[in-house]
Amino acid sequence: MSEHERSLGGRGCAGDAAAYALGALEPAEAEAFRRHLESCVVCRDELAAFERVVDVLPSSAPQYRAPSALRRRVIGEVRADARRRARTGAPDARRSAWAGAAGVRRLPRLQLGLAGTGALAALIVALVLVLGGGGHGASSSRVVAAQVSGPGSAEVRLSGARAELIVHGLPAAPPGEVYEVWLQTGSAPPRPANTLFDVGARGGASVGIVDRVSGATRLMVTAERAGGSAVPTHAPVIVARLD
Amino acid sequence: MFLTARRPRPSELHRVADEELMQLVHEGQAQAFEVLFERHADAAFSLAYRMCGRRAMAEDVVQEAFLSLWRSGARYDPARGSVRAWLLRSVHNRTIDAFRRTTVKAGRDVHDETAAERLHAAELTDMEVERREDVRQVRSALDQLPADQRKVVELAYFGGFSHSQIAELLELPAGTVKGRMRLALSKLRITLGEAAETPA
Repeated sequence: MSEHERSLGGRGCAGDAAAYALGALEPAEAEAFRRHLESCVVCRDELAAFERVVDVLPSSAPQYRAPSALRRRVIGEVRADARRRARTGAPDARRSAWAGAAGVRRLPRLQLGLAGTGALAALIVALVLVLGGGGHGASSSRVVAAQVSGPGSAEVRLSGARAELIVHGLPAAPPGEVYEVWLQTGSAPPRPANTLFDVGARGGASVGIVDRVSGATRLMVTAERAGGSAVPTHAPVIVARLD
Repeated sequence: MFLTARRPRPSELHRVADEELMQLVHEGQAQAFEVLFERHADAAFSLAYRMCGRRAMAEDVVQEAFLSLWRSGARYDPARGSVRAWLLRSVHNRTIDAFRRTTVKAGRDVHDETAAERLHAAELTDMEVERREDVRQVRSALDQLPADQRKVVELAYFGGFSHSQIAELLELPAGTVKGRMRLALSKLRITLGEAAETPA
C-alpha cells in the first residue's frame, strides 16, 4: 500500500483534495477532480479544510514591500480608468481598459496648486527645524528614525529613491481626516507625496511612499481632510530628516 | 467592520472592512480599490516573488491580479474566504499560469538561495505588524513537518510544480507525492488549529 493509499485510510475515491488545494494537479486532473467534487461530499469537506490551511501559507514567505513602480502603475491605471468611466458614464468601461501591459505612469497630482502655501509652509518649516533629526549616513539603503509629536513611534526605510514609512502606536486619524505624507526639499514648500494612510487597530501601518524621495530633505505627516490636501493645513505629527 | 448604512467617505475607507470595500470596488470606486491595494499589495508581491524569484515577473503577476480585481471584483464570493485569501489565491494561480506560459523553469525557486534579483534587505517590510503572530505560527507549523512532507508542499505551493513534476524531481512514485501532500496538509491543519479556521 502506498503512502497515498495509507493516507486515504482505504477510502474509495482518488483523494486529490490536497494536491488540488496546493494547485499541484495537472489541468485535466483538476477538471476531473472538480467534476468529482459534485458527487463526493467527503472530498468537498476535505478540500474546504485544506484550502483554509493553504490560504495561510503565503504568510510563511519572506515579506517584501511592493515596489513603488508597481504601485504607481496599478493605481495610476485604476484612477485613469475611473476618470474615463466618470466621463463616459459607461458602467462597463472598466472591462475594456486593460489591454496590453501598462508602462510606468506618473500618478495624477491631487490639485497641486501651491498658491497660498507661504504661511503654512513657513510654519511647517519652523516645526521641522525644531523637531527634525535622526538621519545617519548617506548610503543608498538606511533606516531613519522619525520624530513623532504625540504617542507612537515612526521610522523611514530608504532604499535608493524609494521610501517606506513605518509607524507603531500612532492614534487613528481624527474623524473625517486621514494622514497625508509630504516631502520637502530644503526650505521649499512641502509637496504632497501622493500618499494617504491611516493606522490599524493597534496604531501600526506600513506605508509605501508613492512618490520618489530623491532630493527630499524631510518627510512629514499631517492629518488632513478627506481625500487629502494640496497643502498641509495642520502641524506635522511625524517629521523625519532624510538628508 | 464599518457598520453604518451610509456610503463611507474617502477618509473613512481605511476603516472599512475588505468585504465592503469589494462592493465599492465593484461599483467603480477607485479610492476603495486603493485602500485594498495598500492593504494587500505587499503580501501579494511577497507571494509572487517567493514563487517566481524574479522581481519583474512578480510585478507583472501582481499587477494582473489587482487589475483583474478592479474589473471583475464581482466574482469574489465571501463564502469562500477572506478577500486577502481570495486575492492571494488569484496571485498564486496567475503565477502558475505564467510559469506554464513562459515555460521558465530555471528561475523557479526550488532553493530559496538561488532566487534572482532578490530585493535588498532594506526593502523587507517586516511589516504587517499586526500579522506577525500569524506568520510565526505558520512558519513554526511548517518547521514541525517532516522534511519530506515540507518539501513537497513547498515545491507544489511556492514552486508551482505539479505532483507529477515533483515525483520526477524527487524520483518518487506519484502516489507517494500525493500522499505526502495530504499528510502534510492534515498535520498543518491540526497544528494551526484555530489559526487555520480563521480567514487570514
